[in-house]
Amino acid sequence: MAHEQQELKEGIQRWRFALVLGAFALLLFVVAARLVMLHTVEQPFLFEQGEKRTVRSEVQPASRGMIVDRHGEPLAVSTPVTTLWVNPQQVNTSELSQVAPLLEINAAELKRRVERAQRQGRSFYFVKRQVEPEIASRVLGKKIAGLYGDTDYRRYYPAAEVTSHTLGLVNIDGKGQEGLELAFDDYLSGKEGSRQVVKDLYGNVIKQLGVKAVAEPGHDLQLTIDLRLQYIAYRELKAVVQSHKATAGSAVMLDAKTGEVLALVSQPSYNPNNRADLKPGNMRNRAVADLVEPGSTMKPFTVAAAIESGRYSPGTKVDTSPGWIRVKRKAIRDHRNYGELDLTGIITKSSNVGVSKLAQDLGADSMWQFFDLAGLGRPGTLGFPGEAVGSMPYPEQMDDLRLSTVSYGYGLSVSPLQLAESYTSFTDGCREHVSLLMSQVGQQPCERVMSEKTARQILDMLGTVVGPKGTGKRAAVEGYLVGGKTGTAHKVGRGGYEDSEYTAVFAGIAPISDPELVLVVIVDEPQGKEYYGGEVAAPVFARVMEQALRLRQVIPDAPVEDEWLQVAGGSR
Amino acid sequence: MTWGSAVLWGAVLISAISQLSVVTWNRDLLQVWQKADAERQAMAEEHSRLVLEKSTLTAHGRIDTLARKRLGMKEPEHTRVFR
Repeated sequence: MAHEQQELKEGIQRWRFALVLGAFALLLFVVAARLVMLHTVEQPFLFEQGEKRTVRSEVQPASRGMIVDRHGEPLAVSTPVTTLWVNPQQVNTSELSQVAPLLEINAAELKRRVERAQRQGRSFYFVKRQVEPEIASRVLGKKIAGLYGDTDYRRYYPAAEVTSHTLGLVNIDGKGQEGLELAFDDYLSGKEGSRQVVKDLYGNVIKQLGVKAVAEPGHDLQLTIDLRLQYIAYRELKAVVQSHKATAGSAVMLDAKTGEVLALVSQPSYNPNNRADLKPGNMRNRAVADLVEPGSTMKPFTVAAAIESGRYSPGTKVDTSPGWIRVKRKAIRDHRNYGELDLTGIITKSSNVGVSKLAQDLGADSMWQFFDLAGLGRPGTLGFPGEAVGSMPYPEQMDDLRLSTVSYGYGLSVSPLQLAESYTSFTDGCREHVSLLMSQVGQQPCERVMSEKTARQILDMLGTVVGPKGTGKRAAVEGYLVGGKTGTAHKVGRGGYEDSEYTAVFAGIAPISDPELVLVVIVDEPQGKEYYGGEVAAPVFARVMEQALRLRQVIPDAPVEDEWLQVAGGSR
Repeated sequence: MTWGSAVLWGAVLISAISQLSVVTWNRDLLQVWQKADAERQAMAEEHSRLVLEKSTLTAHGRIDTLARKRLGMKEPEHTRVFR
């Protein structure tokens, strides 16, 4: 042994030592080189990968603003729901199908679809969207790997079909699709927030690295609609459309003094909370988007134009015998020969011959000017999607026949809302601009159409229509003096005006002594024996008005016949 | 070691410790904020649910049918107006 040790000491020791030392130095160099590589060349990649594993980019959904009525009653509310999704690559399908019954979906179907997504190499699949939070937390409580839940918002409409046309609706992603939801989408939707955070193993945020955008909730929208009046109008309109088997109908109620839209309803309607059986035809907001020929409801404007010309007064006699006149090749007829009528009588009896004679005397220019001032044939101002633009022939387009037909409401078209707006000019001679949002009320001054005196005279004439001799007896409301005008227009069909398809219209104001409300009721194609505006639309007017006046606590203005009650009340 | 470097070392130590404590404090506050925010979110959810529930229960159609069917109420047929 000692001999061998001796040999080692003498000979090989040095190069061995150098070899081992060299090897270690090399290893050290390799490690150092690797360190340098990791810290310089590969650093960005590694840093990114590290971030990816700890830093999360989080989106914070912004809730959509509410839509409320004038008293703050909610009409459209967003409520949080959970969207459940899986990563098919991480999920065990047989485990997943356990939750199917909770979600009321077909387990076999779910399994098949997720397996297909698995084969296609996808890493995202919606299990069910917009699940109620309670159910979602039970599903997520089962802790199935690869199943995730995200917060989302769902829109509910508490008044459902009563307000659906006005509000419109949103799609599943919360974007406005129709109505006000579409028109004010940006205002309502708010901004999503997004931030970068570091999360620990349990999903708790331990560090906030940066905020890219702060979540801003959407703004609330307050409408001028009064939900109580809206409901009354809807109920009565629905009843009449059903009982007369009409194809459609609409009603508009305005505040006579400010032009605020208090009720805006259409039939047929739909339930925006249940989209399963949504028919596009039912989604049409007929009160705003449909054009109708207003028929005889235009006669008060012709008479007002005559009085404003200074050559007529309510008592001026016009000879309407023999109950028809010939204009160009066409005969314009009354129901019967009314003989000599004053202007009030023309309105009371709704004489076509009378207004035709007035229009011929006034001429196309002054007629057009007056109708234009009254807002007929102008584009809508609500900013509502699909709002109709009325049509009104220019004076150059009006020959004698056209002039006559315009005087009793044919050959021009308006939307029900426009008709109601133009009727506000009878309250004090000044036409109010309609507004649907509380923020718009009183923005535009009213437009002078006629003098206050003329307006008062027209109001009194409209009162006689509802009186015992008028065409609109059934629009009478007990306790109140109301006024209005009936209208029955033949529908335009393929070959001109249809003989047996009608639009029944009633436009009225109440109470006459100090107008509060303007209401327009339109019933499209009522079937059966009754089809006149005075038979179909006027009773709806009466029923809605009676309830609306009571609800708004308007003081009754009809003279009291009962002597004892008068005594009891004393002087007012 | 001179006085100067001793002071510098001391300063380094103090700043290191205070930095650590600030970071810890920050994380604690973040936790508090997280909890408060989650609570706010939950309350907002509950609020919107309650608003919905209230408006569903007080829906005019529902009150109307309840008043007519369950309570047997009806509208006054003939109104007499006392003035």
